[in-house]
Amino acid sequence: MRLSIALPCFLLLTLVGCAQNKYNWNGYDKGLYDAYKDPNQIVALQIRLQETIDALEKEKQVVPPGLYAELGTLYLQEGNIEKAKFYYAKERDAWPESKTLMNVLIKNLDSRKQVLEKSKQ
Amino acid sequence: MKYLLVFFFSFGLIGCATVQQKDMSAFNRAAPRSILVVPAVNKTLDVDAPVYVLTTLPIPLANKGYYVFPINTTKYILEQEGLYEGDRIATMPVPTLAKMFGADAILYVTINRWDAQYIILSTTVTVEFDYKLVAADGTVIWTENKKMAYSPQNNQGGGLGGLIAAAISAAMTRAAPNYIPLAQSAHQQVFLMGPNQLPDGPYITQGK
Repeated sequence: MRLSIALPCFLLLTLVGCAQNKYNWNGYDKGLYDAYKDPNQIVALQIRLQETIDALEKEKQVVPPGLYAELGTLYLQEGNIEKAKFYYAKERDAWPESKTLMNVLIKNLDSRKQVLEKSKQ
Repeated sequence: MKYLLVFFFSFGLIGCATVQQKDMSAFNRAAPRSILVVPAVNKTLDVDAPVYVLTTLPIPLANKGYYVFPINTTKYILEQEGLYEGDRIATMPVPTLAKMFGADAILYVTINRWDAQYIILSTTVTVEFDYKLVAADGTVIWTENKKMAYSPQNNQGGGLGGLIAAAISAAMTRAAPNYIPLAQSAHQQVFLMGPNQLPDGPYITQGK
Protein backbone atom coordinates (compact mmCIF):
# COMPACT_ATOMS: atom_id res chain seq x y z
CA MET A 1 0.00 0.00 0.00
CA ARG A 2 2.63 2.44 1.09
CA LEU A 3 4.82 1.40 -1.82
CA SER A 4 2.00 2.08 -4.24
CA ILE A 5 2.10 5.72 -3.17
CA ALA A 6 5.81 6.08 -2.66
CA LEU A 7 6.80 4.63 -6.02
CA PRO A 8 4.81 7.02 -8.23
CA CYS A 9 5.99 9.91 -6.07
CA PHE A 10 9.58 8.84 -6.49
CA LEU A 11 9.15 8.32 -10.22
CA LEU A 12 7.59 11.74 -10.56
CA LEU A 13 10.46 13.31 -8.67
CA THR A 14 13.08 11.66 -10.87
CA LEU A 15 11.17 12.70 -13.97
CA VAL A 16 11.02 16.29 -12.80
CA GLY A 17 14.71 16.05 -12.00
CA CYS A 18 15.47 14.85 -15.51
CA ALA A 19 13.42 17.43 -17.29
CA GLN A 20 14.77 20.34 -15.33
CA ASN A 21 17.20 22.53 -17.18
CA LYS A 22 19.39 24.96 -15.34
CA TYR A 23 19.04 27.52 -18.10
CA ASN A 24 16.46 28.42 -20.66
CA TRP A 25 18.00 27.22 -23.95
CA ASN A 26 14.85 27.64 -25.98
CA GLY A 27 15.63 24.79 -28.37
CA TYR A 28 19.27 25.74 -29.11
CA ASP A 29 20.28 22.08 -29.46
CA LYS A 30 17.38 21.29 -31.79
CA GLY A 31 18.07 24.42 -33.87
CA LEU A 32 21.72 23.50 -34.21
CA TYR A 33 20.82 19.92 -35.13
CA ASP A 34 18.48 21.19 -37.85
CA ALA A 35 21.18 23.53 -39.15
CA TYR A 36 23.72 20.68 -39.37
CA LYS A 37 21.15 18.50 -41.10
CA ASP A 38 20.12 21.19 -43.57
CA PRO A 39 22.42 24.22 -43.98
CA ASN A 40 19.43 26.27 -45.15
CA GLN A 41 18.28 26.22 -41.53
CA ILE A 42 21.25 28.34 -40.36
CA VAL A 43 19.22 31.52 -40.82
CA ALA A 44 16.44 30.05 -38.69
CA LEU A 45 19.01 29.21 -36.00
CA GLN A 46 20.36 32.76 -36.09
CA ILE A 47 16.89 34.26 -35.73
CA ARG A 48 16.06 31.86 -32.91
CA LEU A 49 19.25 32.67 -31.00
CA GLN A 50 18.68 36.39 -31.43
CA GLU A 51 15.11 36.09 -30.16
CA THR A 52 16.16 33.89 -27.23
CA ILE A 53 18.88 36.30 -26.14
CA ASP A 54 16.66 39.36 -26.50
CA ALA A 55 13.88 37.74 -24.50
CA LEU A 56 16.19 36.50 -21.72
CA GLU A 57 17.85 39.91 -21.40
CA LYS A 58 14.47 41.61 -21.26
CA GLU A 59 13.38 39.29 -18.44
CA LYS A 60 16.75 39.74 -16.73
CA GLN A 61 17.44 36.02 -16.92
CA VAL A 62 20.82 34.42 -17.39
CA VAL A 63 21.75 33.73 -21.01
CA PRO A 64 23.10 30.12 -21.09
CA PRO A 65 26.86 29.62 -21.50
CA GLY A 66 28.00 29.94 -25.10
CA LEU A 67 24.84 31.38 -26.60
CA TYR A 68 26.17 34.92 -27.09
CA ALA A 69 29.28 33.54 -28.79
CA GLU A 70 27.28 31.21 -31.01
CA LEU A 71 25.24 34.13 -32.26
CA GLY A 72 28.43 36.16 -32.73
CA THR A 73 29.91 33.40 -34.91
CA LEU A 74 26.77 33.26 -37.07
CA TYR A 75 27.09 37.02 -37.63
CA LEU A 76 30.76 36.59 -38.43
CA GLN A 77 29.94 33.95 -41.04
CA GLU A 78 27.64 36.37 -42.82
CA GLY A 79 30.36 39.05 -42.71
CA ASN A 80 28.91 41.24 -39.96
CA ILE A 81 32.11 41.85 -37.99
CA GLU A 82 30.69 44.56 -35.72
CA LYS A 83 27.86 42.39 -34.48
CA ALA A 84 30.20 39.42 -34.09
CA LYS A 85 32.49 41.50 -31.87
CA PHE A 86 29.51 42.83 -29.92
CA TYR A 87 28.28 39.35 -29.01
CA TYR A 88 31.78 37.97 -28.34
CA ALA A 89 32.22 40.82 -25.85
CA LYS A 90 28.89 39.95 -24.24
CA GLU A 91 29.98 36.33 -23.84
CA ARG A 92 33.25 37.45 -22.25
CA ASP A 93 31.50 39.77 -19.80
CA ALA A 94 28.88 37.18 -18.83
CA TRP A 95 31.26 34.21 -18.45
CA PRO A 96 34.81 34.86 -17.19
CA GLU A 97 35.86 31.34 -18.34
CA SER A 98 35.47 32.50 -21.94
CA LYS A 99 37.66 35.58 -21.55
CA THR A 100 40.83 34.20 -23.20
CA LEU A 101 39.04 32.91 -26.27
CA MET A 102 36.71 35.87 -26.71
CA ASN A 103 39.57 38.37 -26.43
CA VAL A 104 41.55 36.49 -29.07
CA LEU A 105 38.54 36.39 -31.39
CA ILE A 106 37.85 40.11 -30.95
CA LYS A 107 41.51 41.00 -31.45
CA ASN A 108 41.68 38.92 -34.63
CA LEU A 109 38.57 40.61 -36.00
CA ASP A 110 40.06 44.04 -35.24
CA SER A 111 43.26 43.29 -37.08
CA ARG A 112 41.34 41.74 -39.96
CA LYS A 113 39.32 44.93 -40.22
CA GLN A 114 42.47 47.04 -40.27
CA VAL A 115 43.88 44.96 -43.10
CA LEU A 116 40.64 45.36 -45.02
CA GLU A 117 40.59 49.11 -44.50
CA LYS A 118 44.22 49.47 -45.56
CA SER A 119 43.58 47.52 -48.72
CA LYS A 120 40.78 49.93 -49.59
CA GLN A 121 42.98 53.01 -49.24
CA MET B 1 4.73 -10.89 -5.65
CA LYS B 2 6.06 -9.45 -2.42
CA TYR B 3 8.97 -11.89 -2.36
CA LEU B 4 9.73 -11.13 -5.93
CA LEU B 5 9.87 -7.44 -5.13
CA VAL B 6 12.19 -7.98 -2.15
CA PHE B 7 14.32 -10.22 -4.32
CA PHE B 8 14.62 -7.61 -7.04
CA PHE B 9 15.27 -4.90 -4.55
CA SER B 10 18.14 -6.77 -2.91
CA PHE B 11 19.51 -7.42 -6.36
CA GLY B 12 19.48 -3.72 -6.99
CA LEU B 13 21.35 -3.12 -3.76
CA ILE B 14 24.00 -5.68 -4.57
CA GLY B 15 24.32 -4.16 -8.01
CA CYS B 16 25.00 -0.78 -6.46
CA ALA B 17 27.44 -2.07 -3.87
CA THR B 18 29.72 -3.75 -6.38
CA VAL B 19 30.23 -0.61 -8.43
CA GLN B 20 33.48 0.83 -7.20
CA GLN B 21 33.77 4.53 -6.80
CA LYS B 22 36.62 5.67 -8.97
CA ASP B 23 39.57 7.65 -7.71
CA MET B 24 38.70 11.30 -8.18
CA SER B 25 41.88 12.85 -6.78
CA ALA B 26 43.17 13.87 -10.23
CA PHE B 27 39.83 15.44 -10.99
CA ASN B 28 39.77 17.35 -7.74
CA ARG B 29 43.30 18.58 -8.31
CA ALA B 30 42.36 19.93 -11.72
CA ALA B 31 38.98 21.28 -10.48
CA PRO B 32 37.89 22.39 -13.96
CA ARG B 33 35.44 25.27 -14.34
CA SER B 34 35.19 25.14 -18.10
CA ILE B 35 34.90 22.28 -20.59
CA LEU B 36 35.78 22.40 -24.26
CA VAL B 37 33.73 19.90 -26.26
CA VAL B 38 35.53 18.96 -29.46
CA PRO B 39 34.01 17.12 -32.45
CA ALA B 40 33.68 13.41 -31.68
CA VAL B 41 35.85 10.61 -33.00
CA ASN B 42 33.68 8.52 -35.28
CA LYS B 43 34.09 4.74 -35.31
CA THR B 44 30.78 4.19 -37.09
CA LEU B 45 29.75 4.24 -40.73
CA ASP B 46 27.40 7.18 -40.28
CA VAL B 47 29.35 10.24 -41.40
CA ASP B 48 26.82 12.63 -39.89
CA ALA B 49 26.93 11.12 -36.40
CA PRO B 50 29.70 13.40 -34.98
CA VAL B 51 27.91 16.71 -35.60
CA TYR B 52 24.64 15.32 -34.31
CA VAL B 53 26.33 14.02 -31.17
CA LEU B 54 27.95 17.42 -30.71
CA THR B 55 24.55 19.11 -30.41
CA THR B 56 23.53 16.81 -27.55
CA LEU B 57 26.51 17.51 -25.28
CA PRO B 58 26.51 21.14 -24.04
CA ILE B 59 23.14 21.22 -22.25
CA PRO B 60 23.73 18.31 -19.83
CA LEU B 61 27.26 19.59 -19.12
CA ALA B 62 25.96 23.09 -18.41
CA ASN B 63 23.26 21.57 -16.20
CA LYS B 64 26.07 19.96 -14.26
CA GLY B 65 27.44 23.42 -13.49
CA TYR B 66 30.23 23.89 -16.05
CA TYR B 67 30.96 26.64 -18.48
CA VAL B 68 30.77 24.86 -21.82
CA PHE B 69 32.53 26.49 -24.74
CA PRO B 70 30.15 27.25 -27.61
CA ILE B 71 30.25 24.08 -29.70
CA ASN B 72 29.52 25.55 -33.10
CA THR B 73 32.01 28.37 -32.54
CA THR B 74 34.58 25.78 -31.43
CA LYS B 75 33.91 23.73 -34.55
CA TYR B 76 34.23 26.85 -36.71
CA ILE B 77 37.54 27.88 -35.12
CA LEU B 78 38.99 24.38 -35.50
CA GLU B 79 37.91 24.30 -39.14
CA GLN B 80 39.68 27.62 -39.73
CA GLU B 81 42.81 25.85 -38.46
CA GLY B 82 42.19 23.02 -40.92
CA LEU B 83 40.91 20.64 -38.26
CA TYR B 84 37.70 18.99 -39.42
CA GLU B 85 37.78 15.40 -38.20
CA GLY B 86 37.53 14.20 -34.62
CA ASP B 87 40.40 11.76 -35.30
CA ARG B 88 42.74 14.59 -36.30
CA ILE B 89 41.71 16.72 -33.34
CA ALA B 90 42.24 13.81 -30.95
CA THR B 91 45.89 13.55 -32.05
CA MET B 92 46.59 17.19 -31.20
CA PRO B 93 48.50 17.72 -27.93
CA VAL B 94 45.96 18.50 -25.21
CA PRO B 95 47.91 21.46 -23.72
CA THR B 96 48.09 23.14 -27.16
CA LEU B 97 44.38 22.78 -27.73
CA ALA B 98 43.47 23.81 -24.17
CA LYS B 99 45.68 26.88 -24.41
CA MET B 100 44.20 27.90 -27.74
CA PHE B 101 40.76 28.12 -26.12
CA GLY B 102 41.73 28.89 -22.54
CA ALA B 103 39.89 25.75 -21.44
CA ASP B 104 40.38 23.96 -18.09
CA ALA B 105 39.42 20.59 -19.54
CA ILE B 106 38.57 18.97 -22.87
CA LEU B 107 35.86 16.38 -23.39
CA TYR B 108 36.63 13.77 -26.02
CA VAL B 109 33.77 11.57 -27.11
CA THR B 110 34.19 8.50 -29.30
CA ILE B 111 31.14 7.16 -31.08
CA ASN B 112 31.42 3.38 -31.10
CA ARG B 113 27.90 2.60 -32.22
CA TRP B 114 25.21 4.61 -34.00
CA ASP B 115 23.11 2.15 -35.90
CA ALA B 116 19.69 0.69 -36.45
CA GLN B 117 19.24 -3.04 -36.90
CA TYR B 118 16.21 -4.10 -38.83
CA ILE B 119 14.37 -7.27 -38.12
CA ILE B 120 11.19 -7.82 -40.11
CA LEU B 121 8.79 -6.05 -37.78
CA SER B 122 10.93 -4.18 -35.34
CA THR B 123 14.02 -2.06 -35.26
CA THR B 124 16.62 -1.72 -32.55
CA VAL B 125 18.47 1.56 -32.46
CA THR B 126 21.80 1.45 -30.63
CA VAL B 127 24.29 4.11 -29.62
CA GLU B 128 27.51 3.65 -27.69
CA PHE B 129 29.97 6.29 -26.54
CA ASP B 130 33.32 6.50 -24.79
CA TYR B 131 33.75 9.67 -22.78
CA LYS B 132 37.13 11.03 -21.73
CA LEU B 133 37.65 14.25 -19.85
CA VAL B 134 41.25 15.50 -19.92
CA ALA B 135 42.67 18.36 -17.87
CA ALA B 136 44.54 21.15 -19.66
CA ASP B 137 47.89 19.59 -18.68
CA GLY B 138 46.95 16.33 -20.41
CA THR B 139 45.96 14.28 -17.34
CA VAL B 140 42.90 12.10 -17.88
CA ILE B 141 40.56 13.06 -15.04
CA TRP B 142 37.34 11.16 -15.83
CA THR B 143 36.25 8.40 -18.18
CA GLU B 144 33.03 6.57 -18.82
CA ASN B 145 31.37 4.35 -21.40
CA LYS B 146 27.69 4.10 -22.19
CA LYS B 147 25.67 1.93 -24.50
CA MET B 148 21.97 2.45 -25.00
CA ALA B 149 19.53 0.50 -27.14
CA TYR B 150 15.94 1.17 -27.97
CA SER B 151 13.26 -0.91 -29.66
CA PRO B 152 9.94 0.76 -30.31
CA GLN B 153 7.10 -1.03 -28.50
CA ASN B 154 5.71 -3.72 -30.73
CA ASN B 155 3.66 -5.82 -28.37
CA GLN B 156 0.88 -3.38 -27.73
CA GLY B 157 -2.54 -4.85 -28.29
CA GLY B 158 -1.21 -7.88 -30.09
CA GLY B 159 -3.18 -9.55 -32.89
CA LEU B 160 -3.38 -8.07 -36.34
CA GLY B 161 -3.74 -4.51 -35.04
CA GLY B 162 -0.53 -4.94 -33.05
CA LEU B 163 1.29 -6.32 -36.06
CA ILE B 164 0.26 -3.42 -38.22
CA ALA B 165 1.28 -0.95 -35.52
CA ALA B 166 4.66 -2.69 -35.28
CA ALA B 167 5.09 -2.56 -39.05
CA ILE B 168 4.33 1.14 -39.09
CA SER B 169 6.66 1.83 -36.21
CA ALA B 170 9.46 -0.15 -37.88
CA ALA B 171 8.90 1.71 -41.14
CA MET B 172 9.04 5.04 -39.41
CA THR B 173 12.19 4.17 -37.56
CA ARG B 174 13.72 2.89 -40.77
CA ALA B 175 13.01 6.14 -42.55
CA ALA B 176 14.53 8.25 -39.80
CA PRO B 177 15.94 6.34 -36.87
CA ASN B 178 15.82 8.72 -33.98
CA TYR B 179 19.21 8.59 -32.32
CA ILE B 180 19.04 11.93 -30.58
CA PRO B 181 16.82 11.02 -27.57
CA LEU B 182 18.97 7.94 -27.08
CA ALA B 183 22.19 9.96 -27.16
CA GLN B 184 20.64 12.50 -24.81
CA SER B 185 19.69 9.91 -22.24
CA ALA B 186 23.14 8.28 -22.49
CA HIS B 187 24.78 11.64 -21.66
CA GLN B 188 22.21 12.31 -18.96
CA GLN B 189 23.08 9.03 -17.27
CA VAL B 190 26.86 9.35 -17.41
CA PHE B 191 27.02 13.03 -16.45
CA LEU B 192 24.22 13.29 -13.93
CA MET B 193 23.54 9.83 -12.47
CA GLY B 194 25.24 6.86 -10.91
CA PRO B 195 28.33 6.45 -8.77
CA ASN B 196 30.76 7.58 -11.48
CA GLN B 197 28.84 10.69 -12.50
CA LEU B 198 30.75 13.83 -13.34
CA PRO B 199 31.46 15.87 -10.18
CA ASP B 200 29.55 19.12 -9.91
CA GLY B 201 30.91 22.20 -11.64
CA PRO B 202 31.17 25.70 -10.15
CA TYR B 203 27.78 26.93 -11.37
CA ILE B 204 25.79 24.01 -9.97
CA THR B 205 24.23 25.93 -7.08
CA GLN B 206 24.73 29.55 -7.99
CA GLY B 207 22.00 31.45 -9.71
CA LYS B 208 24.15 31.68 -12.77
